Amino acid sequence: MDSARLQEPPHGGFSQGPPRSGGGAGRGRISARRVRDALSAYLFIGPSALIIAVFGIFPLFFTLYISLFKWRLTRGGFVGPGNYETLFGANPLPILALAASIIGIAVAAFLLRQAAAGRRVGGLALLAASVAGLALSLPLVASQGDGEVFDSLRVTIWYAILTVPVQLALGLAIAMLLTRKIRGRQTFRVLYLLPYIAPTVATASIFELLFSLRPDSFANQLIGLAGARPLQWLQEPRGIIPLLFGMSAPQPSGVVSSYWMGWAQGPSLALVSIVFFSWWVFVGYYALIYINGLGSIPRQLYEAAEVDGAGKVRSFFSVTLPLLSPTTYFLTLLGVIGTFKAFTHLYVLRTAAAAQTADPISVQIFFTFFRKAQLGYASATSIVLFLIVLGLTLIQQRTLERRVTYGD
Amino acid sequence: MGTEDGMPLRGKQGPRHPRPTAGRVILYAVLALGGFACVLPFLSMASTALKSSAETITRVSPLPFSPDFWPSVFRWANFEEAWTRASFSLYFRNSLITAAVTVAGVVVTSSLAAYAFAKIRFPGSRSAFAVLLATLIIPESVYLVPNFIIVTRLGWYDSLAALTVPFMASAFYIFLLRQFFAQVPNELVESARIDGAGHARSLVSIVLPLSGAPLFTVAFLAFIGSWNSLQWPLVATRTPRWRPITVGLTTFISDAGPENQLIMAGAVIAILPVILLYFLAQKQFTEAIARSGIKG
Repeated sequence: MDSARLQEPPHGGFSQGPPRSGGGAGRGRISARRVRDALSAYLFIGPSALIIAVFGIFPLFFTLYISLFKWRLTRGGFVGPGNYETLFGANPLPILALAASIIGIAVAAFLLRQAAAGRRVGGLALLAASVAGLALSLPLVASQGDGEVFDSLRVTIWYAILTVPVQLALGLAIAMLLTRKIRGRQTFRVLYLLPYIAPTVATASIFELLFSLRPDSFANQLIGLAGARPLQWLQEPRGIIPLLFGMSAPQPSGVVSSYWMGWAQGPSLALVSIVFFSWWVFVGYYALIYINGLGSIPRQLYEAAEVDGAGKVRSFFSVTLPLLSPTTYFLTLLGVIGTFKAFTHLYVLRTAAAAQTADPISVQIFFTFFRKAQLGYASATSIVLFLIVLGLTLIQQRTLERRVTYGD
Repeated sequence: MGTEDGMPLRGKQGPRHPRPTAGRVILYAVLALGGFACVLPFLSMASTALKSSAETITRVSPLPFSPDFWPSVFRWANFEEAWTRASFSLYFRNSLITAAVTVAGVVVTSSLAAYAFAKIRFPGSRSAFAVLLATLIIPESVYLVPNFIIVTRLGWYDSLAALTVPFMASAFYIFLLRQFFAQVPNELVESARIDGAGHARSLVSIVLPLSGAPLFTVAFLAFIGSWNSLQWPLVATRTPRWRPITVGLTTFISDAGPENQLIMAGAVIAILPVILLYFLAQKQFTEAIARSGIKG
């Protein structure tokens, strides 16, 4: 039920509160009060409900509708699944194979959780088959569909992989340092949160200078101290793997191999430069949220662990990490959804020279709408993005929430 | 040591601050390094904003320990030039009005809805709340096209209403406030109701006065969100009439070309009000942000 009922009033001297609705008092009066309560509740929710319904819920269905049309600035002809065909290609076979592979991976994950050994073997076999199916069908779909959209998805995935885990780890590390007995704790908190507070357009424009291709830019002078030659940073479309190992990427001819070759080159240096910005902005924020989580761990648990002979490392892994799991869950969810939403700094820090190697799906959708004025196609792409975020949220709820330990 | 047992002299090394050891020196060094990394880009911005155009090319250094990091002469005129060339006074005013209107709307609508969800039992409360929370995962990209069309149909394109009304209610702020309103003892609300107060009275005279900190959190987050927004204002406005400072700054960055000192002066102008506000109420701010992460 609603939390008002769960939330019992604190113990007081007198406990004869007013009769709770549904209790023994005269039924007529209570139902009259209930009606009045309900009316004022709807009245109170009204303004929010109206705004959220018009600008938050209706648009979801409206986008779906728009995505079925060729819609420039005004509505054009009905094209049905036409926009989705442009996205995924006209040949249904690879698309069906891709869908089957994704479903197969989900089923395999379900089977692998079962205890029975026979199911596990079946699960492993299904997993292997589905991953192979994905490895083959995804490149085919990407090549017959809109390559730019699939490239932007790859950028988004790289961005999520490079930002969320690092921000979680660094944030937790700093939170643990900041909860020690130190002087100037508040000063440090204020400093660490500064990048998160400051307007993104402005801070991103600072990083545009710090990570510019000029030999005397901050980034180039810094790597120059280590004897490295200047790099192009935000303007560098090449992947970091060929850059690090100084080789030029081989150009395989097959559709499948050239697609996975794209992954093998790693994220472009342009994207990695933007990732540095993300770390700089978010680590302090993650740390602050973790400080809150650390504060709610009862001190006795550490004392008990110490009595049991646990060292600092041991009590970190058996007390701190498990009890922080709700915070970690919250931050992971926020981080991954946030990656798919992220726009401002990616928009400001993108360069023409980076040739879309740092454009995530959010920027891709924005340009489809804003520059190309293809409203129908932008809507179709955003529906796909929505389905991906929805899927990820469900997966995270299924997998992470099982491992989350709630303190109470 | 003239102290009772367990109560050492209150000196510089009180019980809360143990004596310096190698470990503690490293602790402070690491924390200081992190703090330095957070501040360095801002220092770099400030020093570049004060350089002459030539100095941004000839006089550069990555770290503030070198004199080349700093300008030889502080050119305050850069700010004046950036301010007039980018018509920041207009954008600044637009951003302030937009943020103020949005924050006022958010605080009013969210407190009302949060009170209803926290303190009134009514049919459909649970499902309404679930639908509300579900809207949180929808990415902004999904809203872009439909809301552009809706706002245009309403005749709001390129107006203050387009920039404020869609953001005057948010599931996140309702959720946040509800968590805190739920902690206000029901006894207090009920006793006011027995005295004949309606829900509106009990919200205004009992729940709100006890919820200063969470209300501040919501107002602050709504302000930051409005002041920083870029994507929607780019889409929903065409003329500078209501365009916010974020759009002004991005336009200025592409117009100013290689004049880095002016771009950085513009960045200082956009950052300064937020930072000032932040330093003035830093305690509330850090707590507000920490609170925004509470998972109920």
